[in-house]
Amino acid sequence: MAAKVVTVNRDTKPGIYPVLIGMAITFKNMLQTMFGHGAATIQFPEEKRKTSGRYRGIHILTQRLDGTPKCVACYMCATACPAECIYIEAGERPEATIEKYPTRFEIDLLRCVYCGFCVDACPEEAIFMSRENDLVGTSRAEMIIDRDRLMERAKLVEYGPGYRPTDHDVRRPVRIAALERLKHEHGIVPGPPSR
Amino acid sequence: MAGIEIPHFCWHPDLPVDGNCRMCLVEIEKMPKLQIACNTVVSDGMVVRTTSEKAVQAHRTTLEFLLVNHPIDCPVCDQAGECYLQDQYMEHGLHDSKIQPEEKVRKRKVVDLGPIMLDAERCVLCSRCLRFEANVTGTNSFEFVNRGDHMQISTFENRPITHNYAGNLADVCPVGALLSHDFRFKMRVWFLEATDSVCPGCSTGCNIFIDHRDGEAQRLRPRRNVEVNKSWMCDIGRKEYKEIALDARVTAARVRGTSGWEGASVPTALDTLADRLREAGTASAFLATPQATNEDLFAFRTLAEKVGGMLDFRVGDPQDKVRVLEDSVLLRADRNPNTQGCLDQGLGRTGVKEILAACAAGKVGALVLQGPELLRSAEALDALGRVPFVAVMATREEPLLDRAHLVLPAAMWAEVDGTFTNYQRRVQRIRRAFAAPGSATPRWQMAAGVSTRLGTPLPAATARDVFALLARAVPDYAGLDFKTVGAGGRGLPAGPEQIATQEARA
Repeated sequence: MAAKVVTVNRDTKPGIYPVLIGMAITFKNMLQTMFGHGAATIQFPEEKRKTSGRYRGIHILTQRLDGTPKCVACYMCATACPAECIYIEAGERPEATIEKYPTRFEIDLLRCVYCGFCVDACPEEAIFMSRENDLVGTSRAEMIIDRDRLMERAKLVEYGPGYRPTDHDVRRPVRIAALERLKHEHGIVPGPPSR
Repeated sequence: MAGIEIPHFCWHPDLPVDGNCRMCLVEIEKMPKLQIACNTVVSDGMVVRTTSEKAVQAHRTTLEFLLVNHPIDCPVCDQAGECYLQDQYMEHGLHDSKIQPEEKVRKRKVVDLGPIMLDAERCVLCSRCLRFEANVTGTNSFEFVNRGDHMQISTFENRPITHNYAGNLADVCPVGALLSHDFRFKMRVWFLEATDSVCPGCSTGCNIFIDHRDGEAQRLRPRRNVEVNKSWMCDIGRKEYKEIALDARVTAARVRGTSGWEGASVPTALDTLADRLREAGTASAFLATPQATNEDLFAFRTLAEKVGGMLDFRVGDPQDKVRVLEDSVLLRADRNPNTQGCLDQGLGRTGVKEILAACAAGKVGALVLQGPELLRSAEALDALGRVPFVAVMATREEPLLDRAHLVLPAAMWAEVDGTFTNYQRRVQRIRRAFAAPGSATPRWQMAAGVSTRLGTPLPAATARDVFALLARAVPDYAGLDFKTVGAGGRGLPAGPEQIATQEARA
């Protein structure tokens, strides 16, 4: 493709008009941050900054109706975690239908990079992220939060839910990759998802 | 064998062919229908297609049938990650199930069969466990019950598995129907790293994998070796990994001072040992252990020859039990992995009784024990009391170590490189899976350290070098090195005893 030559005339002098437009924008923003809704300063901690519904804050472990964790200790989140900040120990539940649950579930919030991969990886929708983002502590040990803290509902109510698996493709990335390989290597296209 | 992967569930290299899973269908020219690869005899000029459209379609159909009643359990199933069903679904299936979860046939879950957990829902009815029970252990614990969709495996009245090879049932099961109770919920398998090794539990020397993570052994698994253990190992061997992670490991050297034990670094402890051996000279005695590797034994032997003391290893007469089978499968009466190595290197010299007699007579100035076996024997108690200096290389803390004057921390089998020689005179390689705790050191290194202090260093920096020296010194091992021993081990020419037994058999 032949290159197109554009000639730019830089030998121009701006008139007063563009300067006035620029000044107007600056002045408008100044007034907005002083009196309007776009104020950059907020009265933290009484007032909290607004975050989006997909904000990735501190994790939440969801519960079953009886208050036990929905997590089945499959270690998918710990496997997906790029920061290796999730520590799980599995135990046996008495019900044969569920079998497995986490006796320990700890997240080192200082190691966590808040990428949300754990939420994507979870097959049970047992972990998602809240919009809680003001983490304070006096020691590193305090920043490793355990299962009970992760299941605290009050925090969730206070901050609201963040990144969670609501509008995900039901076919997870691994499966999509495998489907593509199957099509490429064997020319097989399984039927569309039944739902 | 040609490197062509054919999907299968029921076929197992060490079990008879059953041909029930229908997963290995292949297209063969001039045959009207697809044939199962496992039970079709190869003939001249046969043209087999394993990835033709017809064959792949057959794999997919078979898999869909197998998955009709399979629960969606993968998140809680310990087999996930090493499950044939999972692998083959990702390879050939990827279909959406036509069956709703509620329509699936429910079967028994979480049935405790002692060392094994049974989950009948996950079973694909391949009958590998039945064939294992029938052909390897001869116990026939499992049978199919019910028919059609409701068919499942069961033991009679849910009785537990009592034989010593139950762990293999979890290994042969291609899915998560039979799982190890010991490994249950402990770890997801994809976190584990496998290191080739040899089981130290008895003189059979089953080839194994050490599955470990972050320096901790999590389980032992048999590694296939047709010459030794096929695909099996016993449950006693499987428990060997628990010894490694014990809290009560000896992690530092210590010397008995005037007021009891005093901690010492390994080099200072070796200094002390070298001084005592120099003083004692030929009035010293050395007891090797059949728990040690060939390299350990060689360095120990070299040291003993240098000092000129008495030398033996036969505490408890392991040499008489080396070839004695304890059951009909693998386990042998000699619970040491390397008694044959001791015999091959000619460590049975003075006789343990003679050494003890010399000790009792006060003729031994320094006694060096490569393992704590002698401390455990009751007859040796008096004799040991008369030796002014007893040094012991130990792996595990026990009160009996108080009978010694110097304790050296020894690394265990999973923490060292080396070789064991099994009852068949097969030299097999063990590999270092992870670091030893504290300042625990391989036994050959400590023996070599004492040799260095006595003025004749062993020209070796690694276990590989020691083995090279050994191969030059011991005629039967001539020409061997770690490379030629390889993953499967190397059989030595038959010794006189073996030839005798072969003749007796004939």
